[in-house]
Amino acid sequence: MLKIDNLAAQVEDKVILRGLNLDVKAGEVHAIMGPNGAGKSTLGHVLAGRAGYEVTGGSADFDGQSLFDLEPEERAQAGLFLAFQYPVEIPGVSNMEFLKASVDAVRASRGQEALSSMDFIKLAREKCQAVDLPQDFLKRGVNEGFSGGEKKRNELLQMMLLEPKLCILDETDSGLDIDALQVVANGVNALRSPDRAMIVVTHYQRLLDYIVPDYVHVLAKGKIVKSGGRELALELEKQGYGWIDEEVA
Amino acid sequence: MAVVSMQAQNAHQQLQAATDWNWLSNWRALGWERFSNTPWPTRKTEDWKYTPLRSLTNTDWQLAAPSGDAQGVDFDDWSRMTLTLVDGQLVDHDALPEGVSVRLLSKADAQTRGDFEQRLSRTLAGERQLFNVFNQAMLTEAVWIEIAPGTVLDKPLHLNQVISSAATERVIPVRVLVDVGDRAEATLVETFSNDASGAVFINPVTELQLAANARLRHYHLLLEEGDVRHLGSVHASLGGYANLDSFHMALGGTLKRKDLVVEHNGSGAELTLNGVYLPRGQEHIDYHTTLEHCVPHCTSSEVFRGIVADRAKAVFNGRIHIHKDAQKTLAELSNKNLLTSHQAEVDTKPELEIYADDVKCAHGATVAQRDDSALFYFLARGIRREEAEVMLNFAFINELLDGLADAPVRDLLQPLLRERFAQGAALEPLA
Amino acid sequence: MSENIDQYLKSEYAAGWTTDVESLTIPPGLNEDVIRLISAKKQEPEWMLEWRLQAFRAWLEMEEPNWAHVKYAKPDFQSLSYYSSPKSMEERPKSLDEVDPELLRTYEKLGIPVHEQEVLAGVAVDMVFDSVSVGTTFREKLKDAGVIFCSISEAIQEYPELVKKYLGSVVPQKDNFYAALNSAVFSDGSFVYIPKGVRCPMELSTYFRINEAKTGQFERTLLIADEGSHVSYLEGCTAPMRDENQLHAAVVELVALDDAEIKYSTVQNWYPGNEEGEGGIFNFVTKRGMAHNRSKISWTQVETGSAVTWKYPSCILKGDDSIGEFYSVALTSNYQQADTGTKMIHLGKNTRSTIIAKGISAKRSENAYRGLVRMNPGAEGARNYTQCDSLLIGDQCGAHTFPYIESKNPTAVIEHEATTSKVSDDQLFLCQQRGIDPEKAVSMIVNGFCKEVFKELPMEFAVEAGKLLEVSLEGAVG
Ligand SMILES: Nc1ncnc2c1ncn2[C@@H]1O[C@H](COP(=O)(O)OP(=O)(O)OP(=O)(O)O)[C@@H](O)[C@H]1O
Ligand SMILES: [Mg+2]
Repeated sequence: MLKIDNLAAQVEDKVILRGLNLDVKAGEVHAIMGPNGAGKSTLGHVLAGRAGYEVTGGSADFDGQSLFDLEPEERAQAGLFLAFQYPVEIPGVSNMEFLKASVDAVRASRGQEALSSMDFIKLAREKCQAVDLPQDFLKRGVNEGFSGGEKKRNELLQMMLLEPKLCILDETDSGLDIDALQVVANGVNALRSPDRAMIVVTHYQRLLDYIVPDYVHVLAKGKIVKSGGRELALELEKQGYGWIDEEVA
Repeated sequence: MAVVSMQAQNAHQQLQAATDWNWLSNWRALGWERFSNTPWPTRKTEDWKYTPLRSLTNTDWQLAAPSGDAQGVDFDDWSRMTLTLVDGQLVDHDALPEGVSVRLLSKADAQTRGDFEQRLSRTLAGERQLFNVFNQAMLTEAVWIEIAPGTVLDKPLHLNQVISSAATERVIPVRVLVDVGDRAEATLVETFSNDASGAVFINPVTELQLAANARLRHYHLLLEEGDVRHLGSVHASLGGYANLDSFHMALGGTLKRKDLVVEHNGSGAELTLNGVYLPRGQEHIDYHTTLEHCVPHCTSSEVFRGIVADRAKAVFNGRIHIHKDAQKTLAELSNKNLLTSHQAEVDTKPELEIYADDVKCAHGATVAQRDDSALFYFLARGIRREEAEVMLNFAFINELLDGLADAPVRDLLQPLLRERFAQGAALEPLA
Repeated sequence: MSENIDQYLKSEYAAGWTTDVESLTIPPGLNEDVIRLISAKKQEPEWMLEWRLQAFRAWLEMEEPNWAHVKYAKPDFQSLSYYSSPKSMEERPKSLDEVDPELLRTYEKLGIPVHEQEVLAGVAVDMVFDSVSVGTTFREKLKDAGVIFCSISEAIQEYPELVKKYLGSVVPQKDNFYAALNSAVFSDGSFVYIPKGVRCPMELSTYFRINEAKTGQFERTLLIADEGSHVSYLEGCTAPMRDENQLHAAVVELVALDDAEIKYSTVQNWYPGNEEGEGGIFNFVTKRGMAHNRSKISWTQVETGSAVTWKYPSCILKGDDSIGEFYSVALTSNYQQADTGTKMIHLGKNTRSTIIAKGISAKRSENAYRGLVRMNPGAEGARNYTQCDSLLIGDQCGAHTFPYIESKNPTAVIEHEATTSKVSDDQLFLCQQRGIDPEKAVSMIVNGFCKEVFKELPMEFAVEAGKLLEVSLEGAVG
């Protein structure tokens, strides 16, 4: 589904990704771990097409199409979803309006009819419940004044509404209490399916107790330096990342 | 002196001839003297640097005669007390509760005349601003609303000013005086709208006087569309611990210029002054705000935002003046602007003039600052770029509307806003 | 403000003495004959005289501006003398060795390196005394690099083509009242030309000294950085203490051709007047740079002197991708008044400007920032950032901010912020309690406030500027 080959990228002349490879097939869940500043969020931003992130080499194919040929909104419409590490606050636009605009756009690109306002509101309320967000969050400005945990749940809510093919979750677990973690994990697990793939960026192995990955990768200094199964996450939790310097000189 | 004055002088003289009220006649004469002695503004006149008055000088303005009906703004099911003024004349008003009185200059008996004389002499006595003195020279009607000390109104007062279709090529001078007594609390909604499509020149002056501990929520909404010139001002004087929350909006019209002057005259007074302007087409909107901090321990917070489209022009001048003894003042002003076309223009000048040292004052102004991370968030959710930009523009303004304490006002304004930005975007209200 | 701060702050203007030299000063008055006389004294070619007369005729039609936030008695232009030169300079000395040692001592006393072997050997100096340039150091060394650094009078004689081409090209004769006056009567000033691709091997600087009473100084500086060149230039100014006001109306024009970079720094310490507000220099200056493609003009100013200052070093960002910067510290005390700031006119695409202005007002002074940022329709993708901060010391002074922001391009971004703060008794008490003496504490606070600007000054002068501020504050706070 997603094939990243030797990807290199930079921001404002600062090289961040240096030859990154990753192959994600439908139905798989990949976890990416790695020290702060390694480039995990950058990877997400580059894949989603954030302005200012310059791809300097390599390729990324999504369902056989080169991602870098697409505008950010086209990528989203094609089914790529990035749950932001730091969701953006947009005062003045209600969450509901935002969600509807987004769902309409994605549905239109799939040739689906727009949902009527009534149907949409019903759906949104349902999903709200699923992620344990009170319904008045739909009326508030997008992420405006939401707590850290609420923002993360709002990301999940959007993911559930858009039903993407590939979900990239950037530290969706950070800042969540145990109950919220459970909620997020349930949401993600509910979306797991043979034709959907997930990339879960996290610092904590505990999330992987709930969302069991097929593969675990370590991203450091702009590349994947180690890959393995679940057990790699446990190992990392014990050892930290000190060994990287020795191994990747 | 200006072309305006040629016809205006006739109108002024007619007015003078028609009154037997000596004081009023003298007062207008003083206004006329000041008006005609003020050099007509040019690009070199600091206060009018960015706002040319061409559109005033090419019409033969007559004084408005009392005329037919017009609807104005209707807040469907908001329980309120409405006073409707058509072309500057009070035509209708709801019953008033205890503690509220309304008096008219045109219907003043001997006693009331005396009161008006005192009231009108008290404020704006040394006034020189061109369109305040013009208002003084041309004054035909003043509506004086008094809210007695301690009165807490549970319904808002709606001053519904309408320009009728009979007002083409007319000048409409109006003065509104609102006195809120000690510990009284009220909400005042001033709306301006027009039925007419012809050229009109409305010249309203509102004077708000808040006694100590008074609280007023105030809306001053310029919703006229079409060939309207609206040149006027709002003056507010705040007593000790008074609280004024004043919201302004201007859209539409050939030329709109509003001078907002707030004086902190009693320690502990608080002001919130927010506003929105949205000129498009060839429209021109100019807000000049002045905060006079005359005494210590007062607070002001001011936020104005505008989006300028097409060939339109917006002007903003936000002055904060901290007088010598006004220690411990907190005053902040923010002005943000977006231009959405290559022919649009914005000129903004936030000013600080500070003569006291123990104060916290700040201002900020931005032009065309789009929030890139917000835009990316939209795109990442599959929303088209143009639509995202429209939604962000809407949000930029709506942020201020969302903060309004009275939902019916918000419900009146938001559709207007949506209509302005709607082209191609899903801005229908949800939930 | 409390007596508390006041008592720590008393000092004298250090540069307030006079040099005892015999001068030839033309009688007061201004008319075409005076202009002819100035031109003749400088043995100028006919075209230069014509240019002056043109400016003078325009000036006669103009009115003194009154929009600035300053109040002063308008100078009586007929009671000023427009040319004064030390007698020893009548026959122009051929080299520095022939210059009257008394004159050179003036500059030494001000701490300015007049001999090439001195410590600050990296700096070439042009010394302007009243209406004439006394001498310029390191001319030969600079010539080796192709750099021309001399007085404007010499440049008119020796490089007439360059002068004709650029004089008035950035600040036209009729630009404003004082620029027109300067164009008519300018006496001396510096001329700099940096050839293509040359990085000027040393700092260039000019020291202006007004010595004679009842004279005005009207210097004119023209600095041209040809394509891809690079120069850093500094000017300093002082004057004796006199109880009448003296007029200083300078014009500075900078031309940065494609890819060139000019850094222009000013340490202005004209006599500010006494504690009662008597005397001091009226400093009415027009400074402007024209920035061509990808070039950069950076103005840095530390303004502590003058009774009245009226000065807006500006950049016309004409070329695409050109950059304008303005870093300013303006300190006013006693009855000083300053109305200063900048104009950034964005014409080209992707032009960038940064404005950092720090105003410090003490005693009964008035300090205003006045700035203009204009985005013209062609300024696609242009950006400006402005930060204006005021520090008030005492409650008798005024601090003002008047930024004009004009945009006609939706892709241009302008951000402006302004704040005010004060040096409080509490801060001082805290410092005292920690063993720091209050005078030191005030200067620490003020220096911290100005840090962003000082770091833009050439290294040698940053320290000097800090000290100057300290000295000015000693006499200023309260
Ligand atoms: N817009 C930017 N400008 C400059 N540097 C940036 C920018 N965005 C990211 N960086 C830098 O790139 C590096 C990688 O950042 P990134 O956010 O991808 O790290 P990360 O692996 O997600 O870290 P964390 O675990 O802390 O979230 C960091 O050094 C960061 O400072
Ligand atoms: Mg990250």
